[in-house]
Amino acid sequence: MYICLCLGVTTGTVQHAIDAGARSTKQVAEACGAGSICGRCGHTIRTMIEAAAPDPPASKPARLRRRWGRS
Amino acid sequence: MSLVLAADYRVPDFDHWWAALTAGLPRLPGLGAHHVVVYRSLEDASRVFVTIGFRQRSPVDALLRSPLMFSWFDSAGVDELPPMFAGEAVEKLDLDLLPGAAADIAAEGAVFVATIAPVGRRDGVARLRASVHAAVTRLADSGVRRFWIYRALDDQAEVMILQEIATERQAEQWIRHPDAATAFMAEAGVGAYPPLFVGRLVQVLEVPGT
Repeated sequence: MYICLCLGVTTGTVQHAIDAGARSTKQVAEACGAGSICGRCGHTIRTMIEAAAPDPPASKPARLRRRWGRS
Repeated sequence: MSLVLAADYRVPDFDHWWAALTAGLPRLPGLGAHHVVVYRSLEDASRVFVTIGFRQRSPVDALLRSPLMFSWFDSAGVDELPPMFAGEAVEKLDLDLLPGAAADIAAEGAVFVATIAPVGRRDGVARLRASVHAAVTRLADSGVRRFWIYRALDDQAEVMILQEIATERQAEQWIRHPDAATAFMAEAGVGAYPPLFVGRLVQVLEVPGT
């Protein structure tokens, strides 16, 4: 998927930046440009950072609730 | 090869968003688009799933940053831009044509389940297609009428899958007890991938002049 529409930055590129150590939207922007123009994709980048964290906060699960998801 | 863009997001005011969407249709031929398909979530009336079909594989970067894309979000009050899937159809199975399929159920009751998820880097899409082909009878028996697979252009291991299921009850059963061929549904909702979308078709909008 394309995360940053301004620069056409993809999920893979953002994930690569996170895997390389980026832990904030600013660091991701510095690494690959995503979010550096209009910043309106910042929530998606934050979600990816949280999903990559070793111990995500219990209040912000990476896997979101789905209607009929298996328990 | 044609191109499909898709996005799953929430709109603050559906009617306002719909008016902005339809008002922008006359500008779409310039981008090469021929139709827009809108689905609305059964669970969350503010959540929509939108696909835009293009006749040719246009440069994705140019499409994404076109003023029209941004104006749609801006005019509808959508501040946070959703991730956009860009891909091409690699499989379109119409299972209601199979002998014994539940063709007597009204099509207007159909439910659409959309999934954007990774399927594995090593021949993931090929293995998915093979497993679905092997399971067509089980899928049809479970109410699955159409099973469409789109492969992402930017990631060969990422797919968007649209399933049309005859009834809401069958969709619920299908999601609670998925077939081995639809294990990909468990990957929805992780990281940037949206949670499983379950909704109904609102309308197929033909782009005027195409």
